[in-house]
Amino acid sequence: MAPMKLLSSDNVEIEVEKEVAERSVLIKNMLEDVGDTTVGAPIPIPNVNEGVLRKVIEWCEHHRNDPPQPADEDSDSRKKSTDIEEWDQKFMQVDQEMLFEIILAANYLDIKPLLDVGCKTVANMIKGKSPEEIRKTFNIQNDFTPEEEDQIRRENEWAEDR
Amino acid sequence: MPLHPQTPNREDLEQTWMYLETGISKIMNDLQEGMDMRAYMGIYTAVHNFCTSQKAVNSSSTSLHHQGGVHRGAHLLGEDLYNNLIHYLSAHLAGLKQQSTQFTDEALLAFYIREWDRYTTAAKYINHLFRYLNRHWVKREMDEGKKNIYDVYTLHLVRWKIDLFDSVQRHVMDGVLKLVEKQRNGETIETAMVKSIVDSFVSLGLDENDSSKSTLEVYREYFEKPFLESTNNYYQFESKQFVAENSVVEYMKKAETRLSEEEGRVHVYLHPDIMVPLMKTCQRVLIQEHAPLLRDEFQVLLNNDRQDDLKRMYNLLSRITDGLEPLRTKFEAHVRKAGLEAIEKVANENTDDNLEPKVYVDALLEVHEKYSSLVKIAFKEDTEFVRSLDNACREFVNRNKVCKSASSKSPELLAKYADSLLKKSAKAAEEADLESKLDSIMTVFKYVEDKDVFQKFYSRMLAKRLVHATSASDDAETSMIGKLKDACGFEYTNKLQRMFQDMQISKDLNDSYKEWMNNTLDEDALKTAVDFSIQVLGTSFWPLTPPNTPFHIPQVITKTYDRFQTFYFQKHSGRKLNWLWHLCKGDVKATFAKSSKVPFTFHVSTYQMAILLMFNDATSYSYEEIETTTGLSRDYLDPSLGVFIKAKVLNLEPASGKVGPGTTLTLNTDFKSKKIRVNLNMAVRTEQKQEAEDTHKTIEEDRKLLMQSAIVRIMKSRKVLKHVVLVQETIAQIKSRFTPKVPDIKKCIDILLEKEYLERLDGERLGYLA
Repeated sequence: MAPMKLLSSDNVEIEVEKEVAERSVLIKNMLEDVGDTTVGAPIPIPNVNEGVLRKVIEWCEHHRNDPPQPADEDSDSRKKSTDIEEWDQKFMQVDQEMLFEIILAANYLDIKPLLDVGCKTVANMIKGKSPEEIRKTFNIQNDFTPEEEDQIRRENEWAEDR
Repeated sequence: MPLHPQTPNREDLEQTWMYLETGISKIMNDLQEGMDMRAYMGIYTAVHNFCTSQKAVNSSSTSLHHQGGVHRGAHLLGEDLYNNLIHYLSAHLAGLKQQSTQFTDEALLAFYIREWDRYTTAAKYINHLFRYLNRHWVKREMDEGKKNIYDVYTLHLVRWKIDLFDSVQRHVMDGVLKLVEKQRNGETIETAMVKSIVDSFVSLGLDENDSSKSTLEVYREYFEKPFLESTNNYYQFESKQFVAENSVVEYMKKAETRLSEEEGRVHVYLHPDIMVPLMKTCQRVLIQEHAPLLRDEFQVLLNNDRQDDLKRMYNLLSRITDGLEPLRTKFEAHVRKAGLEAIEKVANENTDDNLEPKVYVDALLEVHEKYSSLVKIAFKEDTEFVRSLDNACREFVNRNKVCKSASSKSPELLAKYADSLLKKSAKAAEEADLESKLDSIMTVFKYVEDKDVFQKFYSRMLAKRLVHATSASDDAETSMIGKLKDACGFEYTNKLQRMFQDMQISKDLNDSYKEWMNNTLDEDALKTAVDFSIQVLGTSFWPLTPPNTPFHIPQVITKTYDRFQTFYFQKHSGRKLNWLWHLCKGDVKATFAKSSKVPFTFHVSTYQMAILLMFNDATSYSYEEIETTTGLSRDYLDPSLGVFIKAKVLNLEPASGKVGPGTTLTLNTDFKSKKIRVNLNMAVRTEQKQEAEDTHKTIEEDRKLLMQSAIVRIMKSRKVLKHVVLVQETIAQIKSRFTPKVPDIKKCIDILLEKEYLERLDGERLGYLA
């Protein structure tokens, strides 16, 4: 398979096989639409920097032979947040900054399985934590007024663990 | 040149849209010039960036924040892009609509197709570029059940339908219909054009509930409907005109061509969905509306044996509902008439008595053959036509001029024909030929109603062939019995098969008898023993009756007679042997003739043998003396003597008189014959005729028994039954053998009432008495 080049937002060319690059639906569609007219030229990826792009490509390399996703959007395996295969779990052991960058890149490049893995990882980070802990984990400022907070708590009382 | 595309400020709608519009416009209008990756990635990124911007400048997105004050998590941006895209498309399509007005007919089609292709190709690109919008904003809107929100590609189709199609489709269809009419008139057209239009119309059908699926609604409404209407009008006009100027046969050819042309049209450039309604329309206009005319021609075609045209007519009329029914009735009547005419001709050429069975059967077969091949070739072996043929054949086989006295004439002649085939004769048929002739007998047999009559005659003639060893081939006999068994079942042929078995058993019996003689007799007795063979036949299986004349067994064979009886009763005690002398025969050596040194061998019946043996003791006897010695009744004595006198073995005195009391018979020592073996055992013709009559008589008797046993069988299982129902069921049971008459069944019921098998109950009911 012919190697091709991606150009990161910070203007670094990264070589990648076509099959791997086409894990991104964006790139796949573009190659299909634009055709072979621009063979050789690097594909500009304006929204992703070198570090993140390399990380994403690493993931695509590993999953190059994955079967296509089931058409059923709500299939159980997609929903279960704990369901992350071992390689992916290790892959996602990065700092929070990088994790969010990967998620944004996956969303932009339209790589649904990677986006899922990223979101599941975040979901696992939230699971079992109190709002305070969550705020701490993600460094979120509490922007509710005490009244608002009270109201929300009352509305969601039924869901509380007791 | 910058490495990356310059993307607009993600938060500024106006700037973003201006950037996008330039790109979209390029795709829509100048895609053929190609598109580079940077532009592609730029547009995609601009859409992405706009949709992911934290705050949009435009106010419409902020309104989402205030919806009922409910927190919906992150709101999605994109509505503005979507609406702007709609505006852009509407404006583009309005331009096309304007342009379209300068075209008509084929030019309009060309314009429509060109713009459609360009538009849908662009739609595919734009759909990809707006994929981020599809994935998020559009998906969310649709998930929330919003109507009239579509993915970007579908949106293109929806706009095309609303902003262009609805106002131009009528003109486009006019062009299509004109084009097709041209083709129907024999001109060559560019069919690909029509095909493109069809594809476009089909694409515009969107499922209301699931816009990712397409329906044929738009196509059916705007293409199929006018297309069918114009087809209808075209052929209505054409066929009327054609029929007025041409023969029916010519019209059929025309209709056939037209139908296959239309079918081809569907395959070449129409949507398969139109096949059924289009064929229906064509069939209605081309066939249904002219069906009476076609049917009127049917009889003419039959009369002239126009097989090809009949086939054509069948094919046409079989395409419409109930198209063939009137033909079947006509066909049946025609075949019946043909059959009756053929038999009448045969009957007129031959008198009743000397009508050759072969001639009769051949006449039946010829008609059947002719029309069954017509059914096969022209009517595709249509089951209804096969039934009509069968009905007609059944009619003329059972009721025709030859059978006018009784329907039993057909089976009688058929059985006789079978006999003539199976009997040894000089012109024995080839085996394969024989087999096919037997098959053709079965063809007629199938139609014979009085199958019991056939059975009677057949078994009598089979008995004769076996007893007299005149059967041509055992294989052929077995094959014929097999065919009858296949047609009528085991019971029907049971007796025939048993007759066959008896012949085999008799062979073994003769062998063991010979062995027994060798063991029990001394040499002298063996030397003087008469050469003898015998067939022992089961009374209940064979249609043979014991002789109805007394008979004194001549001295010479009494020893043999006693010896065999002793042997047989030793073997099977308790059995009774009836000697059928009238069927026996023997050879005697005659040494009285002066003309020849070699003794003649006379082949004679046992009765004749008894007479001849008397002349060992004297050369002349009075009629009365012979009568007393042989014990024969005059019915048998007179014909036997007659043969001798005719053959000049005996001389009658007075020479001019008839054999009878007062005459004298003298051995003719001047007897001459060219052959050494002389066959004097000749059946008398009157005897044969008598036999046929007897057979018919016994049939009547047998039928009564058959009906009675059927009635008893039915009543035994049903116990109580209404009179009418009993009669019906009896008919149903017996139909396979013969067609019983209702009064006969009633008579049989009366007999059974009298014999107290049945009892009368109230309300027309009958009961079974065990």
